[in-house]
Amino acid sequence: MIRRLLAAASLVLAAVVFNASVAGAVGETVGSCIFEELEEASFAGIDGEGLDAVKNLKTAYKNEAEGAEDIKKDFESDLEGCLDAPNPILPETTEIIWGGGAFVILLVLMRWKLFPVVRNLMEQRTQRIQDSIDEADKTMTEAAEVKASYEAELADAKTEAARILDTAREQAGVVRADLQAKAEADIAEMRERAALDVEASKRQAIADLQSEVAEIALGAAEAVLGRTLENPEVQHQLIDDYIARVGANQQD
Amino acid sequence: MSERSASYANAVAAVARAEGNLDMVSDELFRVARAIEHSDELRMTLADRQIPAARRQQIVEDLLGGQASDTTTAMVSMIVASGRSADIAGIAQHTVELNAKDRGRSVAEVRAAVALTQDQTQRLVSALSAATGHQVDVKVIVDPSVMGGVIATIGDEVIDGSVRHRLSQLRDSM
Repeated sequence: MIRRLLAAASLVLAAVVFNASVAGAVGETVGSCIFEELEEASFAGIDGEGLDAVKNLKTAYKNEAEGAEDIKKDFESDLEGCLDAPNPILPETTEIIWGGGAFVILLVLMRWKLFPVVRNLMEQRTQRIQDSIDEADKTMTEAAEVKASYEAELADAKTEAARILDTAREQAGVVRADLQAKAEADIAEMRERAALDVEASKRQAIADLQSEVAEIALGAAEAVLGRTLENPEVQHQLIDDYIARVGANQQD
Repeated sequence: MSERSASYANAVAAVARAEGNLDMVSDELFRVARAIEHSDELRMTLADRQIPAARRQQIVEDLLGGQASDTTTAMVSMIVASGRSADIAGIAQHTVELNAKDRGRSVAEVRAAVALTQDQTQRLVSALSAATGHQVDVKVIVDPSVMGGVIATIGDEVIDGSVRHRLSQLRDSM
């Protein structure tokens, strides 16, 4: 944690240093430096102070007074020193102090209030993500198991279908053989029955013919008998014959 | 024969015995039954319940009046009025058997194509009595379907000497 704080402070400091601008460096500028030098100008052997002293130095230098050139060079050197302006990037010390203090306060407040909340949120989010990952893993595992189960069932179904198909083929073969055998038996039976029918028809035709002949003969006999039986004497003779036969049977 | 016909026959025989003419009544009843049997119109008329019983009795009395005894006429009238004219053949048959039984005889129902003479009847009675071993009363029924000869039925025994029977045997043999 400390390492993190130091890293954060270094980061903030670097940002302040490297992001500092000239505008941000409030205080002495080149112009004000030169103005101050001119205002406070005072040269040995030259009368006056400030701009008067500068004008007098300029006049002395033009008049090639003794020592004027050296004084002028020193003054120019001083003016050139104004060109060495303060680091436009580096803030003012007070700004650094106030900024650093505010940062520390902010950091402490964040460490005290915000970080736990953020940490809890992060931990909760991490936990949720982990839970989601676990759930996803579990779901994937279950899906894999279901898939494996389905694949196993599919394999079983294919096997069962193949077995049923084989059984159906075998049964179809058996049924076909049975039907063929039955058809052959039926044909043989029909042939036998047809032969018997032919024989029976033949016998029936012969019997019918015999019956017809018998009927004709009987019809003729009945016709003859009818005419004969119309005679009462014949009727009574038949009765007498019957009585005689009944009596003869008794005698036997 | 139905039990009802036997009951009617017993009643007729009882009345005839009381009158002392069972022999005559049974003979007349037998002939009346044969007459009704051979006449479809008469049989249907006597059996028609749409005709009042009194009217049917009147028909019987008109037919039998003077040709049968009063007892026979009364018995036939009673049977017709009771709506049992269809059973009269059975009643007559049973009455004849009761009469024969009273006299220790059996009944031989004889069917012939023509009526038998008295002599033939006597000889047939003798021959059948000798053949069966006991005395028989012959009741002759003229039945043209017999064609010729005689069919005698005594109880369960049938002695068939008819031309119809011989033709039937010939047909079977051919």
